[in-house]
Amino acid sequence: MITLNFKLNGKHVSIEAEPYIRLIDLLRDQFNLTGTKEGCGVGECGACTVLMNKRAVNSCLVLAGQINGSEIETIESLADGKLLHPLQRNFLEQGAVQCGYCTPGMILSSYALLDQNPNPSEEEITEAIAGNLCRCTGYKQIVDAVKATAKELNSNKK
Amino acid sequence: MIHPLEILLPKDLKEALALIAGGNADTHIIAGGTDVVTGLGQGLNRFKNIKTLVDINKIESLKGIRSSDKFISIGAAETLTGILENPTVKKELPLLAKSCSTIGSVQIRNRATIAGNFVNNAPCADTVPVLLVYDARIVIESLNSKREIGLNEFLSAPYKTQLKKNEIVTSINIPVAPIKYAGDFYKLGRRRALAISRITLALLLTMNGKTINDIRIASGAVTPIGKRFYELEKSVIGKTADDSMLKQLSIDLGKSILDAAGLRWSSEYKLPVVQQVFYQMLNQIISGKGDK
Repeated sequence: MITLNFKLNGKHVSIEAEPYIRLIDLLRDQFNLTGTKEGCGVGECGACTVLMNKRAVNSCLVLAGQINGSEIETIESLADGKLLHPLQRNFLEQGAVQCGYCTPGMILSSYALLDQNPNPSEEEITEAIAGNLCRCTGYKQIVDAVKATAKELNSNKK
Repeated sequence: MIHPLEILLPKDLKEALALIAGGNADTHIIAGGTDVVTGLGQGLNRFKNIKTLVDINKIESLKGIRSSDKFISIGAAETLTGILENPTVKKELPLLAKSCSTIGSVQIRNRATIAGNFVNNAPCADTVPVLLVYDARIVIESLNSKREIGLNEFLSAPYKTQLKKNEIVTSINIPVAPIKYAGDFYKLGRRRALAISRITLALLLTMNGKTINDIRIASGAVTPIGKRFYELEKSVIGKTADDSMLKQLSIDLGKSILDAAGLRWSSEYKLPVVQQVFYQMLNQIISGKGDK
């Protein structure tokens, strides 16, 4: 066991863990943050996407022993109490959530995109979510939800 | 499940080199982990006996991109995203930017590193043909030594390199070309994102009027290791780039690839693809439509 010190969803945390477990297992099993899903476990489906230092990463490919000092954000950090983040609300409104398994990863990839690029083109959106597989929607509703969110966030700034 | 192991996080290069100085077979470097963690999770033979991982992500000197008038030097543990977002790379090494953009997904590129792409010498590493045409030099350090060798020499055989167990690749030095080359990178995979490459080709070219002043050709995935075609290049330098010559060069490249790879079940499909694609690349670059 080693002691891990890192920032999780905005709070400094300290926890004892084996260094060789994966970040996804640490989040789900030791922090009960079960919004992060496991699909393929080899970095191809994106269901386990979390933000590490503001960048989208596959939490199945990061080991607990590598995260000391970093900043991790999961889907649980987005809503403000019962108030959904605009991305979450727009995903619902555009019908971008069907079975829902890909949704946390899909939203976090979109969140990281909008964080870096508030005005993404359709191509930039599809590139940002190319590492997130969805077998229900056909992606159109997801792209629409990201576009609607970008528009909304930009008009709020004005 | 990943078997129990320890992870060490050296703060500088000297500390990291000291940790691997014994050359123990049970110690392995980890950076982005996109290859190592999947391999550990799948219990692959090459990771089965590992007891210690040395994580080099905290070592600042292995990150970043520095340029002088002679070299562009890329830190070995720089991420593919870091390379893609670098203005010098975009301007001076457009083929490298293009090849990095085709690797994995955003999530993979945010973690995966440039040296990690080729240190295991998998034939499908997308940056390899590009680094080969840019004449990339690999800087390798141990506690008591530092050497620099060409990438073509570094990649010795499929899944084998010149790297010893007590050494770390510390940077990739790309010489700044005295003349401006035009070029392109081509990748064929089964889909755009996250696909293992079936064919990759990299091409750099400078013309002197209608004759070929210099040309550099490399392939990946379709050959057992990334390969430069030096003899083929020599055979056309100084020649007039008319249509029959470009066709012949494309046919000859296909033949050279077949010589290197041997006849496979997929040759019947891949060979004409390579020849056609290469012919199109040549034409586009010569007509000025390729990436400058």
